[in-house]
Amino acid sequence: MKKLFVLLTAFLLSVPLSACAEKKEFTEPDGKLDPCSIRFSWWGGDDRHEATLKAIELWNQNHPDINIIPEYGGWDGWTEKISSQINGGTAPDVMQINYDWLVSFSAGDKFYDLGKLRNFIDLSGYDDEVLSFGKNKGLLNAVTVSVSGRGLFYNSDVYKSFNAEYPHTWNELLALGDKFDDKGVYPIDLDIQSGGTAWYLSVVYVQQKTGKEFITMDGQLGFSEEDIKTALDFYKQLENNHVIRNVRSRTDEDGNAALYQSPEFISGKVAGVLEWGSSVGKYEMSLPEGVLEAGPMLTDDNGNSDGWLIKPSMLYAVSASTKYPDESAAFVNFLLNDGKCADILGTTRGIPASSYAQESLEKSGKLKGLALENDRMLSQINTFTISPYMELARMKEFYNEAIESVSYNTSDTSSAAKKMYDSITKYLEKIKK
Amino acid sequence: MKKHTYNNPVGVKNHTGLILIMPFIIGFVLFTLYPFVSSFITGMTDYDGINSPQFTGFENYRNMFSDSDFIKSVTVTFKYALILVPLKLIFSLLTAMLLSAEIKGIGIFRTAFYIPSILGSNLAIVIMWQFLFTSKGLVNQFLEIIGLSPISWYSQPAPAMFMIVLLRLWEFGSSMIIFLNAIRDIPQEYYDAAKTDGCGNVKAFFYITVPMLRNVIFLNLVLQTISAFQEFNAPYMITGGNPAKSTFTIGMLIYNAMFRYSEIGYANAVSWVLFVIIAVITALMFRITKK
Repeated sequence: MKKLFVLLTAFLLSVPLSACAEKKEFTEPDGKLDPCSIRFSWWGGDDRHEATLKAIELWNQNHPDINIIPEYGGWDGWTEKISSQINGGTAPDVMQINYDWLVSFSAGDKFYDLGKLRNFIDLSGYDDEVLSFGKNKGLLNAVTVSVSGRGLFYNSDVYKSFNAEYPHTWNELLALGDKFDDKGVYPIDLDIQSGGTAWYLSVVYVQQKTGKEFITMDGQLGFSEEDIKTALDFYKQLENNHVIRNVRSRTDEDGNAALYQSPEFISGKVAGVLEWGSSVGKYEMSLPEGVLEAGPMLTDDNGNSDGWLIKPSMLYAVSASTKYPDESAAFVNFLLNDGKCADILGTTRGIPASSYAQESLEKSGKLKGLALENDRMLSQINTFTISPYMELARMKEFYNEAIESVSYNTSDTSSAAKKMYDSITKYLEKIKK
Repeated sequence: MKKHTYNNPVGVKNHTGLILIMPFIIGFVLFTLYPFVSSFITGMTDYDGINSPQFTGFENYRNMFSDSDFIKSVTVTFKYALILVPLKLIFSLLTAMLLSAEIKGIGIFRTAFYIPSILGSNLAIVIMWQFLFTSKGLVNQFLEIIGLSPISWYSQPAPAMFMIVLLRLWEFGSSMIIFLNAIRDIPQEYYDAAKTDGCGNVKAFFYITVPMLRNVIFLNLVLQTISAFQEFNAPYMITGGNPAKSTFTIGMLIYNAMFRYSEIGYANAVSWVLFVIIAVITALMFRITKK
């Protein structure tokens, strides 16, 4: 019995340690497409889900031997789900990934080097800069689906009823609060649920004012404590001027629901939203067709429009542990470049970065909509590319904490700025070690 | 002394017993003991689930004391357990008393009262809670009708805590069933004798029912306390730990560290602290009640 106990203890102690030193097994590409089933996961709203399922149907018709198993859901909790799948070695073969995941997961070789799969992925429709977004340590870990930026979208019916123009400058936006206040309507709102949206607009404001990047591409905090304070002051000003709801009203009115599901947005009490061009579809679907419209990118009074941010709205990656790299690559190529697939997907993931997909959409007259308008406006101004570090979950926690403390008046903007500055500096140092 | 030999009709040999219990042993080792030991070891590392873990000894445990989120979550969890457990015990005991009456159709009521426990805290319940408690929800409309001021349920710490306590209180079915069975086991003769001596219903409750249910009350107390300390679902789904982390339980901290921030070593260390807290509280309850 003693012997058994000793053996059992030794086994239990050795397994966790040996698991840590586990050797990863990569399946080398064999250059041909074999019959198999591939799991493909993505997040999004209903518009994206419906289109993607139709695209998968088309793939299955053309490739009856390579079955695609869809796994999809909303954004909330999606990172946690994929993170546990990747860490647990059960990641889907093909994944739609968020930009910051390249930092979070690539360090441990969780994504396949797509450079090895060039036989099946045609990247000739991409320019080098767009391709570089998916590179990590020189390896092509993912391919950009679309490049997108957050823009302002307005409920045109509400604006018409107030006889109001969409704002062009920050000051015009601030002035709208007064105009809308009489009827208890807010010109815009910033969804705190999706993390970082409330902070994002303030970052753009300060970037435009100072020309500094909030977080640099190599993960340095570009803002000083004073810049962060300016951003928080601006946020507070938006609340005080009745441009956005404060966190308390937003929480009371919406509970834990996302803004696009909120009765306040649907009823028009909240008449605008800051959202990614690639994801605005879910807001568009909440309102009658054609009611949501894209507004101009805000500038200062001198017309300076710098500071707005763009990023790859999402990328496709292949899991490093896939047993079907060739087949996965062929499917990624279909999603990115196939003309019929592009027509089905439309702009549900933003304006495609692949020129082949864009051409196809243009030919079929489907290159239209809010995503395109937003994309065009962004292409006319001097944008900054978001650092993937800015989007890390822990960073969003710091932004939300500061915004909440300022909104609830549990802290003044100076103390909140100091706390945020210290937390970000410490965290960036830690993760870059 | 004469040595007895026994018939061995099923051919039991030396290792047969061991073989027969092997399925349990394998399951226990793989799904309980291994994660238990593995979690302790992982809790002593700096591990993000991607890069190789670095052994850091008790650093994760030391870091907890300077982590304001950890301190906040422990305070919130204790507060939550202290409010919920007594309320739930009282509520489920009183309901069990009502449902112990032998009247026609009582089975329907017993089933109906158990339904909330089956529903759990899923998405449908979250939506229902939103209908009830958002600023224009049914509860505030009702308060206004009776001339009271509406309450900011989601954005103030006490009402937000009340919302999640209410959800769990509403799911009182399992403890009620345990009470109900125990109440029905109390011999009717005791009540008859007490009645003959002029004892009223209230006295009978305190002098017969409660003492006879002592063991069951203790069992429910332990079970409910353990489950309250492990609370995750209700605050995660309903309040997201807000406002200002006033409903942020230890369970949520573990979840965030593990899945949101990939601080796997830290999440495991906090899990062990939660385990110790629960073990100590349970031991204290046993000691105080001298079980």
